[in-house]
Amino acid sequence: MSEEKQSEQPKVPGRTIGFSIMTVATLFVAIFLYQNSSPDNQSAGGESIAEFANLDGFSSAHWFLPDDNMLGFVEIPAGRFTMGSNPNLDRMAYQNERWSDLRRQGEVELPRYYIARFETTVAQFAAFVADSGAAAPQVPLSGAGNLPVTNVTWPEALAYTRWLDLQLRQSADTPAPLRALLDGGARVTLPNEAEWEKAARGSDGRIFPWREARAEEVANFNSQSTRPVDSSPCTQCAWGLSDMAGNVWELTRSPLQDYPYTAEDDAEGLAEDALYVMRGGSFADGLNNIRAAVRGGVDPGVRNSTIGFRVVVSTQ
Amino acid sequence: MATSTVAGQPKSASRNKSKNQQNQTGFSATHFRVPLVLTLALFLLSFVPRVQSNPVLVASFWGAIAVLLAWQAYQFLQMQRQGESHGFFVLLRPQHYIQAMVQSSVYLYWGFYWRPVYEHFWLIIAQILFAYTFDMLLSWSRKRDYTLGFGPIPIILSVNLFLWFRDDWFYLQFLMIAIGFMGKEYVRWHREGRNVHIFNPSAFALGIFSVILIATNTTSLTWGQEIASTLTLAPNIYTFLFLVGLVVMYFFSITLVAGMAAITLFLFSAIYSSTAGVPYFLDSEIPAAVFLGLHLLITDPSTSPRTPLGKVFFGLLYGIGVFALYTLLGALGAPTFYDKLLCVPLLNLSVIAIDRLVRSVSSETLINVWKDNWFSGRGNLAHMSVWVVLFGLMSVLGKTDGKHEGDSLPFWQQACAEGLPNSCQRLVQLEATYCGDNAAWACNELGAHYREGTIVEQNQELSLGYFSRSCELKFKAGCINLLDADTIARENPRELDLRLLLREGGQNLMELPVDQLYARACDHDWAFACDPPRINI
Repeated sequence: MSEEKQSEQPKVPGRTIGFSIMTVATLFVAIFLYQNSSPDNQSAGGESIAEFANLDGFSSAHWFLPDDNMLGFVEIPAGRFTMGSNPNLDRMAYQNERWSDLRRQGEVELPRYYIARFETTVAQFAAFVADSGAAAPQVPLSGAGNLPVTNVTWPEALAYTRWLDLQLRQSADTPAPLRALLDGGARVTLPNEAEWEKAARGSDGRIFPWREARAEEVANFNSQSTRPVDSSPCTQCAWGLSDMAGNVWELTRSPLQDYPYTAEDDAEGLAEDALYVMRGGSFADGLNNIRAAVRGGVDPGVRNSTIGFRVVVSTQ
Repeated sequence: MATSTVAGQPKSASRNKSKNQQNQTGFSATHFRVPLVLTLALFLLSFVPRVQSNPVLVASFWGAIAVLLAWQAYQFLQMQRQGESHGFFVLLRPQHYIQAMVQSSVYLYWGFYWRPVYEHFWLIIAQILFAYTFDMLLSWSRKRDYTLGFGPIPIILSVNLFLWFRDDWFYLQFLMIAIGFMGKEYVRWHREGRNVHIFNPSAFALGIFSVILIATNTTSLTWGQEIASTLTLAPNIYTFLFLVGLVVMYFFSITLVAGMAAITLFLFSAIYSSTAGVPYFLDSEIPAAVFLGLHLLITDPSTSPRTPLGKVFFGLLYGIGVFALYTLLGALGAPTFYDKLLCVPLLNLSVIAIDRLVRSVSSETLINVWKDNWFSGRGNLAHMSVWVVLFGLMSVLGKTDGKHEGDSLPFWQQACAEGLPNSCQRLVQLEATYCGDNAAWACNELGAHYREGTIVEQNQELSLGYFSRSCELKFKAGCINLLDADTIARENPRELDLRLLLREGGQNLMELPVDQLYARACDHDWAFACDPPRINI
């Protein structure tokens, strides 16, 4: 009788299945979260540079620097140049371009240095990100590799220069003049204001990088977008550099301070917010803002589609 | 009909009654209305603006609903095929609704000072609906009637007092709840002749997910860190928790567990502070979240010892466990707020051993931690009185609410400079937290530490990373450090930095007048802030 009763009782499922489901669910969570925490799933680094492999005029073997015997670096000889603006000669001059209360312009002596002919490109920055694993998810690194890289912050631009410095020191292909300079204590970095301005206006006090040229033919300004850095060589420009006027604002390593210019860091006013100088104007600016003496200020954390940079090999 | 109301009756009696009824009924579809209505309510909840604000959140709700519906359909067909019917009976247990009321009061008070708690309201309701449905189906799948009461509510409230996933990962919250209930159902043992669950369901879910989150370094997917640090935003939170804790102590005799855990932690903290010269915990003698945990997380009577002496051991072990895990987690580089969560499942596992140990004691007075004829045998009230006196003493000594020396960053700088134990590690830990909050000064200090290599191992890459962060936040010294690898520029915190550095657990100081901000900084030992000429008001 009792056996009959027992057989009528519904069979209660064992706990094994439920326990197994619980264990599988737990393992699923663990694996799922592990996959979401792995570096491959982060946005840092790992950019593909394969799409830039056949970029005309740039060497994929040399981090997409220009394919010439100086890797795109142009020598700026040692000597003096005129810095700042004289409103009598340049009606578009801004007040912050005045040298001092007593003088409109100043004379600055610089040692020899090298500056990149072109603004730093998307492909070059992508090579840095791919090689170093740097996290730069907000920097657009696809599309045309010969466009100037934009939306970089000041520290990111400096990180690129540190990386390029290391590559050039380690590479057997580094041009001899550059290697000599680097071995002698120079470094790849952002230009300071004086280095940038001398490279832009030459030693003869130009207002624009060119003397005799139609601005529209040699500079990208009053337009809607950036253009490839090698799209319009400027033979009339000082030292033959491209896009020293327009295309993108170029970051410098100089803090924004009143003139007269000094190469020293602004170590006195550390309590103030950092503000760095950018030069050259951009595609979105008018003619007055692409003059060689124009000084813009930018927060080091700012990203903008009108701001990029170029590099120097500097002994300062 | 297999539904009955059995308020106040022993569970076994009501269950037998229900089983008898069940045998008379055969298959009935009517009971499925309850889980269906709960699921429908969950579905309707997915249309409230809070849920609709995030597509992943909506998808999480609908995913949970789909699982519940599929399970109901399967269960329906199973019962129909087998000609069975399982219903539910109502059993309202004071330990559930009183616990739920106490927990709700904590949410109300804390949320008044930290609004994300109130914003989380609909998500808690959703979890409760999910928990009821899930628990009901689980019970039916085990061929049992469901005990309908307030049981799931304190479980959900308890989980959410310590951990909840961010909106983009909220489906994991449903999964955590499900695993908690499955643990209650499937991980069991025989204790005192009864088949009972081993783990406190909320502590089981929290413990498992804590281990996974630590192992996968994904704590940032949750609000865990914020939850642990924002309790102190509510003024006099220790006194508040103490008062609501008294309610639980009075009704459920958990005084010995909670009190012993608190006393152990306080004593260990005090011994450490007096010997090392620095506080053990960063911001208090007993972190507020731990104080909350020892009142509401370890006091489940079904998974803790029943004898008074056993409760003393249980509380003692919890105190030791939290104390040890705090250091262990810190050494592993894991968030230390998990300390209070990880040791509960381990303690639950030790219950039988504790029971055995207590059985070996022959003195009744010792077992009851009280003599029967003292105070008319009302041991719990006597224990509560001792606890009230001790808490009062701790408060008078300034060890509960109020300012704590570990809140002050300059204190840790000074302690680190003097070489006091663990102080440099704590300093770096604090600065990393503040840097993560975008305090540029803290990022620059961290960069400096990694460049100098004196209190941490030299690391050029980390150093540049911190200087970059500092510089991007416009801290000029950070930018100069980026440019020149040979020097280290330092500067006092700026006004914005102070607003972040002085938050003590997350207060919003963005609107605090500058003079009050600097007075607060001065009070926290920032010497430069006490010097009026330096202040640009």
